[in-house]
Amino acid sequence: MLERTGVPTKENIESVTPLKERLSKGPVAIIECFQEIPCNPCYTSCKKGAIKELIDINDRPILDPEKCNGCGVCISNCPGLAIFVVDESYSETEALVKIPYEFVPLPKEGSFVTGLDREGKPVCRAKVEKVLNTKAQDRTPVVSLIVPKEFSMTVRFLSLNDHYSDNTIVCRCEEITLGEIREYIRRGYQSLEEIKRISRAGMGPCQGRTCSQLIMQELAAATGKRLSEIKMSAFRPPAVPIKLGQLLGGDDHE
Amino acid sequence: MNKTASVVIVGGGISGCAIAYTLAKKGVKDIVVIERDYLSSGATGRCGAGVRMQWGTEMNCRLAKYSIEFFERANEELEYEYDIEFKQGGYLIVASTEKEVNQFKKNIALQNSLGIPSRLLTPKEAKEIVPHMDETKIIAATFNPKDGHLNPFHTTQAYANAAVRLGVEIMKYATVTGIKVENGKVVGVQTDKGYISTPVVVNAAGGYSQLIAKMVGIDLPVYSERHQILVTEPVAPMQGPMFMSFSLNIYCQQTPHGSFIMGRGDANEPRDLRITSSWHFMEEMAKTCTELLPPLKELRVVRQWSGLYNISPDRQPIYGPVKEVEGFYLACGYSGHGFMFGPVTGVVMAEAILGETPTIPVHMLDKDRFERGELLLEPSVV
Repeated sequence: MLERTGVPTKENIESVTPLKERLSKGPVAIIECFQEIPCNPCYTSCKKGAIKELIDINDRPILDPEKCNGCGVCISNCPGLAIFVVDESYSETEALVKIPYEFVPLPKEGSFVTGLDREGKPVCRAKVEKVLNTKAQDRTPVVSLIVPKEFSMTVRFLSLNDHYSDNTIVCRCEEITLGEIREYIRRGYQSLEEIKRISRAGMGPCQGRTCSQLIMQELAAATGKRLSEIKMSAFRPPAVPIKLGQLLGGDDHE
Repeated sequence: MNKTASVVIVGGGISGCAIAYTLAKKGVKDIVVIERDYLSSGATGRCGAGVRMQWGTEMNCRLAKYSIEFFERANEELEYEYDIEFKQGGYLIVASTEKEVNQFKKNIALQNSLGIPSRLLTPKEAKEIVPHMDETKIIAATFNPKDGHLNPFHTTQAYANAAVRLGVEIMKYATVTGIKVENGKVVGVQTDKGYISTPVVVNAAGGYSQLIAKMVGIDLPVYSERHQILVTEPVAPMQGPMFMSFSLNIYCQQTPHGSFIMGRGDANEPRDLRITSSWHFMEEMAKTCTELLPPLKELRVVRQWSGLYNISPDRQPIYGPVKEVEGFYLACGYSGHGFMFGPVTGVVMAEAILGETPTIPVHMLDKDRFERGELLLEPSVV
């Protein structure tokens, strides 16, 4: 619940998500401002007239995505850090997400960071495309992150800590690192089933519950495919490891 | 995209990859392997992956011995970048009936005459090799230290990588939809990724080999049958050999990784292409396993799956050309032992295709032996 957690609901987000066609056309502002507060710099800063005039200063801003060109001026002007710009035309499989970032140190352009969702949970690896920090941003720098397209409406913050570095253990059962997975992909093992068989990732007691998604993300990134195009591996019983002795039934077993 | 090949091999399991590698090593160019899914996605990658020389027919003994001697040097010969994980911990095959003991005595005499170092053991001697077994359930056992276990994915990949280095093309995720025959000769293979002109097609399609043979109008005397298997969590090494019983219906092996892989047959299994998993198997397997190897009851089952045995009337492979269609070759009907015969399959099939003198005479393993009534029935199968 927004009032308690500060995290907008799915319905909140849907209410400000532009149509697919608009998103695919190019950069557009996403105004995630869901509470009535006396505030209007977004409206006054927009040179395109894309944000509807606030009749009452408590009104929530309403964006006309057709007028918005995604220039991003409003990002730094929003005191609540509630405005982002999403550009799904960035590449075939990647999107650019522009985020207000008021922490130091700032991320370095070209470095890898971790994209976080609205709750601060790691979502994917992100590359810092640009850090905009001129007088115009007025100490609210704007960081542009390159993320897989499916996460364009999920990534809203970043952690400088690269959770998805080569040393990260991706399969905890078999202790396989992301670096190893990336090496298998480079050598031509380009499906989850093949990587599972060659590396054992996903064959452990957890049955790939942690690593499958992460490996699929790596496969998508490496092959230039969308995550939804990467095939899952077969699910096999039992759902939870069970002792051979328990399978016998009877009284003399716990 | 259409192309031309000298040989098209249908099936990217151990057989297909070994045949491709062996042909390429003998200098054959333009070999294409077609695999419907990923390499070793069929019976190869689903099998228990045990390899044994302890057979009941001279033919199977010789085929297996050749293969195991190849596995011993496969990492080097195939210049594999990883490891095929070959563990020669032996096979301990236990007997629970007098009839079985008599058969084992015959088997051992045969095996020893072929240079296979198997020997008959008392239950007490067997327990020394597998200390956690309940030796009261058996009356004798045989043991061959040369038998063992290896990783089927890595072994197939080792062959495939070596074949690709020699110029073989492997088409993964491609399905054969038809085989073109003109004037009694193979002329090409139709796939969903294009047509390939070729004078030679090798049917190494494992559990689906009867479907491939149908494409040239041949009814193979084989059928496919699901066999189920499970794997446990890994634990510290405690069992050296494969533990096996024909009469009690079990094979159980600890892999170098530490997990136990075990399976059994089911006499009521229908003859079709299903590869689902059943609860019934889990219960039966748990019962058999914990009776014979009681401490294993503490192990957790992590996963179960199944694969297809391609079963021939005498439980031995079908190798070689067919009289009906020139250029059509069979490498199928392994009856559950195709993985361990992989290396020898590669060699005898390459020799058959090139018209060379066979390393092991396998002409009696042709398809027509069943019509002639010359079956070589293998008595030692789970």
